[in-house]
Amino acid sequence: MRNIALALAVVFFVVGSLYWTGTLQVGAGHPGPHHSHGILFFVLGLLALVWMRFAGRASAS
Amino acid sequence: MTFLQAMLLAVLQGFSELFPISSLGHTVLVPALLHWHIDRSAPTFLAFVVALHLGTAVALVVFYRRDWAGIVRGLAASIARGRIGTDGEERIAWLLVFGTIPVAVLGVFLERPVRALFGSIPLVAGFLIVNAAIMFAGERLRSAVRSGPPRRLASLPWSGAVWVGLGQSLALFPGISRSGSSIVAGLLLGLTHEDAARYSFLLATPAIGAASVLELPRLLDPSAQGVLAEAAIGGVLAGVTAYASVAFLTRYFRSNDLRPFGWYCLVAGAGALALAAAKMIA
Repeated sequence: MRNIALALAVVFFVVGSLYWTGTLQVGAGHPGPHHSHGILFFVLGLLALVWMRFAGRASAS
Repeated sequence: MTFLQAMLLAVLQGFSELFPISSLGHTVLVPALLHWHIDRSAPTFLAFVVALHLGTAVALVVFYRRDWAGIVRGLAASIARGRIGTDGEERIAWLLVFGTIPVAVLGVFLERPVRALFGSIPLVAGFLIVNAAIMFAGERLRSAVRSGPPRRLASLPWSGAVWVGLGQSLALFPGISRSGSSIVAGLLLGLTHEDAARYSFLLATPAIGAASVLELPRLLDPSAQGVLAEAAIGGVLAGVTAYASVAFLTRYFRSNDLRPFGWYCLVAGAGALALAAAKMIA
Protein backbone atom coordinates (compact mmCIF):
# COMPACT_ATOMS: atom_id res chain seq x y z
CA MET A 1 0.00 0.00 0.00
CA ARG A 2 2.83 2.39 0.90
CA ASN A 3 4.46 1.83 -2.49
CA ILE A 4 1.20 2.34 -4.37
CA ALA A 5 0.57 5.57 -2.45
CA LEU A 6 4.11 6.81 -3.15
CA ALA A 7 3.83 5.97 -6.85
CA LEU A 8 0.49 7.77 -7.02
CA ALA A 9 1.95 10.81 -5.26
CA VAL A 10 4.82 10.98 -7.76
CA VAL A 11 2.42 10.62 -10.71
CA PHE A 12 0.14 13.35 -9.33
CA PHE A 13 3.05 15.75 -8.74
CA VAL A 14 4.44 15.14 -12.23
CA VAL A 15 1.03 15.55 -13.91
CA GLY A 16 0.39 18.69 -11.82
CA SER A 17 3.73 20.18 -12.90
CA LEU A 18 2.96 19.41 -16.54
CA TYR A 19 -0.43 21.17 -16.29
CA TRP A 20 1.10 24.10 -14.39
CA THR A 21 3.71 24.70 -17.08
CA GLY A 22 1.25 24.16 -19.91
CA THR A 23 3.03 21.07 -21.25
CA LEU A 24 -0.05 18.92 -20.64
CA GLN A 25 -3.33 20.02 -22.21
CA VAL A 26 -5.56 16.94 -21.79
CA GLY A 27 -9.09 17.97 -20.78
CA ALA A 28 -8.18 21.66 -20.69
CA GLY A 29 -10.35 24.08 -22.57
CA HIS A 30 -7.69 26.44 -23.90
CA PRO A 31 -3.96 26.35 -24.66
CA GLY A 32 -1.42 27.58 -22.11
CA PRO A 33 -0.70 26.90 -18.43
CA HIS A 34 -3.54 25.42 -16.37
CA HIS A 35 -2.93 26.47 -12.82
CA SER A 36 -6.18 25.11 -11.39
CA HIS A 37 -5.41 21.67 -12.90
CA GLY A 38 -1.90 21.93 -11.50
CA ILE A 39 -3.14 22.83 -8.01
CA LEU A 40 -5.69 19.99 -8.12
CA PHE A 41 -3.00 17.39 -8.90
CA PHE A 42 -0.64 18.91 -6.33
CA VAL A 43 -3.34 18.54 -3.64
CA LEU A 44 -4.05 14.97 -4.80
CA GLY A 45 -0.31 14.29 -4.49
CA LEU A 46 -0.32 15.60 -0.92
CA LEU A 47 -3.32 13.37 -0.12
CA ALA A 48 -1.45 10.38 -1.58
CA LEU A 49 1.46 11.19 0.75
CA VAL A 50 -0.97 11.30 3.71
CA TRP A 51 -2.32 7.92 2.58
CA MET A 52 1.26 6.63 2.48
CA ARG A 53 1.74 7.76 6.07
CA PHE A 54 -1.50 6.12 7.17
CA ALA A 55 -0.58 2.90 5.32
CA GLY A 56 2.85 2.89 6.97
CA ARG A 57 1.32 3.12 10.43
CA ALA A 58 -1.22 0.43 9.64
CA SER A 59 1.43 -2.06 8.48
CA ALA A 60 3.72 -1.25 11.43
CA SER A 61 1.03 -1.95 14.02
CA MET B 1 -24.67 46.04 -15.16
CA THR B 2 -26.01 48.84 -12.97
CA PHE B 3 -25.28 49.14 -9.25
CA LEU B 4 -28.84 48.11 -8.37
CA GLN B 5 -28.64 45.06 -10.64
CA ALA B 6 -25.32 44.11 -9.05
CA MET B 7 -26.76 44.31 -5.54
CA LEU B 8 -29.86 42.31 -6.49
CA LEU B 9 -27.62 39.65 -8.03
CA ALA B 10 -25.54 39.58 -4.84
CA VAL B 11 -28.64 38.96 -2.70
CA LEU B 12 -29.90 36.35 -5.17
CA GLN B 13 -26.53 34.56 -5.15
CA GLY B 14 -26.21 34.54 -1.33
CA PHE B 15 -29.77 33.31 -0.94
CA SER B 16 -29.90 30.71 -3.70
CA GLU B 17 -26.40 29.24 -3.19
CA LEU B 18 -27.51 27.47 -0.02
CA PHE B 19 -31.23 27.01 -0.56
CA PRO B 20 -31.64 23.84 -2.68
CA ILE B 21 -32.91 25.77 -5.70
CA SER B 22 -29.71 26.23 -7.78
CA SER B 23 -27.92 29.58 -7.59
CA LEU B 24 -26.47 29.15 -11.06
CA GLY B 25 -29.90 28.45 -12.52
CA HIS B 26 -31.34 31.53 -10.82
CA THR B 27 -28.51 33.83 -11.85
CA VAL B 28 -29.19 32.76 -15.45
CA LEU B 29 -33.01 32.85 -15.33
CA VAL B 30 -33.71 35.94 -13.21
CA PRO B 31 -31.64 38.41 -15.29
CA ALA B 32 -33.22 36.94 -18.45
CA LEU B 33 -36.68 37.33 -16.94
CA LEU B 34 -35.99 40.96 -16.03
CA HIS B 35 -34.45 41.59 -19.48
CA TRP B 36 -31.10 42.59 -18.01
CA HIS B 37 -28.44 42.56 -20.69
CA ILE B 38 -25.47 41.17 -18.81
CA ASP B 39 -22.40 39.84 -20.59
CA ARG B 40 -21.71 36.80 -18.41
CA SER B 41 -18.29 36.29 -20.01
CA ALA B 42 -17.08 39.86 -19.45
CA PRO B 43 -14.00 40.09 -17.16
CA THR B 44 -15.80 42.61 -14.95
CA PHE B 45 -18.79 40.28 -14.44
CA LEU B 46 -16.55 37.28 -13.72
CA ALA B 47 -14.60 39.34 -11.16
CA PHE B 48 -17.90 40.37 -9.54
CA VAL B 49 -19.01 36.71 -9.34
CA VAL B 50 -15.71 35.76 -7.67
CA ALA B 51 -16.42 38.33 -4.94
CA LEU B 52 -19.94 36.94 -4.42
CA HIS B 53 -18.59 33.38 -4.04
CA LEU B 54 -15.90 34.58 -1.68
CA GLY B 55 -18.53 36.31 0.46
CA THR B 56 -20.62 33.13 0.54
CA ALA B 57 -17.64 30.96 1.50
CA VAL B 58 -16.64 33.35 4.31
CA ALA B 59 -20.23 33.34 5.61
CA LEU B 60 -20.20 29.52 5.74
CA VAL B 61 -16.87 29.45 7.57
CA VAL B 62 -18.12 32.02 10.09
CA PHE B 63 -21.41 30.17 10.66
CA TYR B 64 -19.66 26.81 11.14
CA ARG B 65 -16.57 28.27 12.81
CA ARG B 66 -16.65 25.82 15.75
CA ASP B 67 -17.07 22.85 13.39
CA TRP B 68 -14.22 24.09 11.19
CA ALA B 69 -11.94 24.58 14.19
CA GLY B 70 -12.64 20.95 15.19
CA ILE B 71 -12.23 19.72 11.61
CA VAL B 72 -8.83 21.39 11.22
CA ARG B 73 -7.76 20.03 14.64
CA GLY B 74 -9.01 16.56 13.66
CA LEU B 75 -7.15 16.61 10.33
CA ALA B 76 -3.92 17.77 11.92
CA ALA B 77 -4.19 15.25 14.77
CA SER B 78 -4.89 12.30 12.47
CA ILE B 79 -2.02 13.18 10.11
CA ALA B 80 0.36 13.64 13.05
CA ARG B 81 -0.76 10.30 14.55
CA GLY B 82 -0.68 8.47 11.22
CA ARG B 83 -4.19 7.07 11.48
CA ILE B 84 -7.79 8.26 11.61
CA GLY B 85 -9.17 7.94 15.13
CA THR B 86 -12.72 7.23 16.18
CA ASP B 87 -13.28 10.81 17.32
CA GLY B 88 -16.29 12.37 15.55
CA GLU B 89 -14.43 15.50 14.44
CA GLU B 90 -11.61 13.49 12.87
CA ARG B 91 -14.03 11.30 10.97
CA ILE B 92 -16.05 14.31 9.77
CA ALA B 93 -12.80 15.99 8.67
CA TRP B 94 -11.88 13.01 6.48
CA LEU B 95 -15.46 12.60 5.28
CA LEU B 96 -15.15 16.16 3.98
CA VAL B 97 -11.84 15.35 2.27
CA PHE B 98 -13.31 12.25 0.57
CA GLY B 99 -16.47 14.15 -0.36
CA THR B 100 -14.54 17.06 -1.85
CA ILE B 101 -12.33 14.97 -4.18
CA PRO B 102 -15.10 14.14 -6.74
CA VAL B 103 -16.32 17.73 -7.07
CA ALA B 104 -12.74 19.05 -7.27
CA VAL B 105 -11.75 16.64 -10.06
CA LEU B 106 -15.01 16.92 -12.01
CA GLY B 107 -15.22 20.68 -11.45
CA VAL B 108 -11.72 21.39 -12.75
CA PHE B 109 -12.18 19.23 -15.86
CA LEU B 110 -15.86 19.61 -16.68
CA GLU B 111 -17.16 22.93 -15.33
CA ARG B 112 -16.48 25.05 -18.44
CA PRO B 113 -17.58 22.56 -21.13
CA VAL B 114 -20.73 21.58 -19.19
CA ARG B 115 -21.79 25.19 -18.62
CA ALA B 116 -21.05 26.10 -22.21
CA LEU B 117 -23.14 23.17 -23.48
CA PHE B 118 -26.04 23.41 -21.03
CA GLY B 119 -26.28 27.14 -20.27
CA SER B 120 -29.24 28.01 -22.50
CA ILE B 121 -32.50 29.19 -20.88
CA PRO B 122 -34.65 26.15 -21.86
CA LEU B 123 -32.00 23.71 -20.66
CA VAL B 124 -31.52 25.56 -17.36
CA ALA B 125 -35.31 25.57 -16.88
CA GLY B 126 -35.36 21.85 -17.70
CA PHE B 127 -32.61 21.15 -15.15
CA LEU B 128 -34.63 23.04 -12.51
CA ILE B 129 -37.43 20.52 -13.13
CA VAL B 130 -34.87 17.69 -12.89
CA ASN B 131 -33.72 19.27 -9.60
CA ALA B 132 -37.30 19.10 -8.34
CA ALA B 133 -37.52 15.44 -9.42
CA ILE B 134 -34.27 14.64 -7.57
CA MET B 135 -35.66 16.13 -4.35
CA PHE B 136 -39.07 14.43 -4.64
CA ALA B 137 -37.42 11.09 -5.49
CA GLY B 138 -34.95 11.50 -2.63
CA GLU B 139 -37.72 12.08 -0.11
CA ARG B 140 -39.71 9.11 -1.42
CA LEU B 141 -36.77 6.72 -1.68
CA ARG B 142 -35.16 7.46 1.67
CA SER B 143 -37.86 5.66 3.57
CA ALA B 144 -37.75 2.76 1.09
CA VAL B 145 -33.98 2.21 1.13
CA ARG B 146 -33.40 2.62 4.86
CA SER B 147 -34.85 0.83 7.79
CA GLY B 148 -33.97 1.32 11.44
CA PRO B 149 -32.79 4.46 13.20
CA PRO B 150 -31.11 7.22 11.18
CA ARG B 151 -27.34 7.21 10.87
CA ARG B 152 -25.30 10.00 12.49
CA LEU B 153 -22.95 12.01 10.29
CA ALA B 154 -19.75 10.77 11.97
CA SER B 155 -20.74 7.15 11.23
CA LEU B 156 -21.13 7.72 7.48
CA PRO B 157 -18.86 5.27 5.57
CA TRP B 158 -16.01 6.68 3.45
CA SER B 159 -17.73 5.43 0.30
CA GLY B 160 -20.84 7.35 1.41
CA ALA B 161 -18.80 10.56 1.52
CA VAL B 162 -17.73 9.94 -2.08
CA TRP B 163 -21.35 9.35 -3.12
CA VAL B 164 -22.41 12.63 -1.51
CA GLY B 165 -19.49 14.34 -3.27
CA LEU B 166 -20.65 12.88 -6.59
CA GLY B 167 -24.16 14.11 -5.80
CA GLN B 168 -22.76 17.58 -5.21
CA SER B 169 -21.02 17.38 -8.60
CA LEU B 170 -24.41 17.27 -10.33
CA ALA B 171 -24.54 21.01 -9.60
CA LEU B 172 -22.14 21.49 -12.52
CA PHE B 173 -25.34 21.41 -14.58
CA PRO B 174 -26.95 24.87 -14.32
CA GLY B 175 -30.32 24.32 -12.64
CA ILE B 176 -29.27 21.41 -10.42
CA SER B 177 -28.72 22.52 -6.84
CA ARG B 178 -25.47 21.69 -5.06
CA SER B 179 -27.13 21.53 -1.65
CA GLY B 180 -30.25 19.76 -2.97
CA SER B 181 -28.36 16.93 -4.67
CA SER B 182 -25.92 16.45 -1.80
CA ILE B 183 -28.68 16.51 0.83
CA VAL B 184 -30.59 13.87 -1.18
CA ALA B 185 -27.42 11.71 -1.37
CA GLY B 186 -27.03 12.06 2.40
CA LEU B 187 -30.68 11.14 3.00
CA LEU B 188 -30.35 8.01 0.82
CA LEU B 189 -27.36 7.00 2.95
CA GLY B 190 -29.54 7.16 6.04
CA LEU B 191 -28.69 10.60 7.44
CA THR B 192 -31.37 12.79 9.00
CA HIS B 193 -32.31 15.98 7.16
CA GLU B 194 -30.42 17.96 9.78
CA ASP B 195 -27.18 15.96 9.41
CA ALA B 196 -27.49 15.72 5.61
CA ALA B 197 -27.88 19.51 5.41
CA ARG B 198 -24.98 20.11 7.83
CA TYR B 199 -22.71 17.82 5.80
CA SER B 200 -23.88 19.47 2.57
CA PHE B 201 -23.10 22.98 3.86
CA LEU B 202 -19.73 21.91 5.29
CA LEU B 203 -18.93 20.19 1.99
CA ALA B 204 -19.91 23.29 0.01
CA THR B 205 -17.39 25.46 1.87
CA PRO B 206 -14.13 24.04 0.40
CA ALA B 207 -15.73 23.79 -3.07
CA ILE B 208 -16.98 27.39 -3.13
CA GLY B 209 -13.93 28.70 -1.24
CA ALA B 210 -11.38 26.96 -3.47
CA ALA B 211 -13.21 28.00 -6.65
CA SER B 212 -13.21 31.64 -5.56
CA VAL B 213 -9.59 31.60 -4.36
CA LEU B 214 -8.47 30.05 -7.68
CA GLU B 215 -10.33 32.79 -9.53
CA LEU B 216 -9.06 35.57 -7.24
CA PRO B 217 -6.61 36.88 -9.91
CA ARG B 218 -9.70 38.03 -11.85
CA LEU B 219 -10.40 40.54 -9.06
CA LEU B 220 -6.83 41.82 -9.22
CA ASP B 221 -6.90 42.17 -13.00
CA PRO B 222 -6.73 45.81 -14.21
CA SER B 223 -9.95 45.26 -16.20
CA ALA B 224 -11.79 44.58 -12.91
CA GLN B 225 -10.80 47.92 -11.33
CA GLY B 226 -14.06 49.51 -12.49
CA VAL B 227 -16.22 47.07 -10.52
CA LEU B 228 -14.15 46.71 -7.34
CA ALA B 229 -16.58 48.80 -5.27
CA GLU B 230 -19.59 46.82 -6.55
CA ALA B 231 -17.65 43.57 -6.01
CA ALA B 232 -16.73 44.49 -2.42
CA ILE B 233 -20.26 45.59 -1.45
CA GLY B 234 -21.79 42.68 -3.38
CA GLY B 235 -19.47 40.21 -1.65
CA VAL B 236 -20.50 41.49 1.77
CA LEU B 237 -24.17 41.48 0.79
CA ALA B 238 -23.92 37.90 -0.58
CA GLY B 239 -22.13 36.86 2.62
CA VAL B 240 -24.79 38.38 4.90
CA THR B 241 -27.59 36.79 2.85
CA ALA B 242 -25.79 33.43 2.81
CA TYR B 243 -25.32 33.59 6.60
CA ALA B 244 -29.01 34.32 7.12
CA SER B 245 -29.90 31.51 4.68
CA VAL B 246 -27.76 28.86 6.38
CA ALA B 247 -29.03 29.98 9.81
CA PHE B 248 -32.61 29.57 8.57
CA LEU B 249 -32.00 26.26 6.77
CA THR B 250 -30.23 24.55 9.67
CA ARG B 251 -33.31 25.28 11.81
CA TYR B 252 -35.69 24.41 8.97
CA PHE B 253 -34.20 20.95 8.38
CA ARG B 254 -34.61 19.95 12.05
CA SER B 255 -38.25 19.20 11.37
CA ASN B 256 -38.93 19.78 7.66
CA ASP B 257 -37.99 18.21 4.34
CA LEU B 258 -37.04 19.11 0.76
CA ARG B 259 -40.47 18.92 -0.82
CA PRO B 260 -41.39 22.65 -0.62
CA PHE B 261 -38.18 23.44 -2.54
CA GLY B 262 -39.06 20.69 -5.00
CA TRP B 263 -42.45 22.30 -5.65
CA TYR B 264 -40.82 25.71 -6.07
CA CYS B 265 -38.25 24.36 -8.59
CA LEU B 266 -40.99 22.53 -10.49
CA VAL B 267 -43.12 25.67 -10.81
CA ALA B 268 -40.15 27.96 -11.56
CA GLY B 269 -38.72 25.54 -14.15
CA ALA B 270 -42.06 24.96 -15.86
CA GLY B 271 -42.79 28.71 -15.84
CA ALA B 272 -39.39 29.53 -17.33
CA LEU B 273 -39.86 26.84 -20.00
CA ALA B 274 -43.27 28.27 -20.90
CA LEU B 275 -41.86 31.82 -21.09
CA ALA B 276 -38.95 30.61 -23.22
CA ALA B 277 -41.36 28.77 -25.55
CA ALA B 278 -43.43 31.97 -25.85
CA LYS B 279 -40.15 33.83 -26.56
CA MET B 280 -40.80 36.13 -23.60
CA ILE B 281 -37.33 35.37 -22.23
CA ALA B 282 -34.19 34.56 -24.16
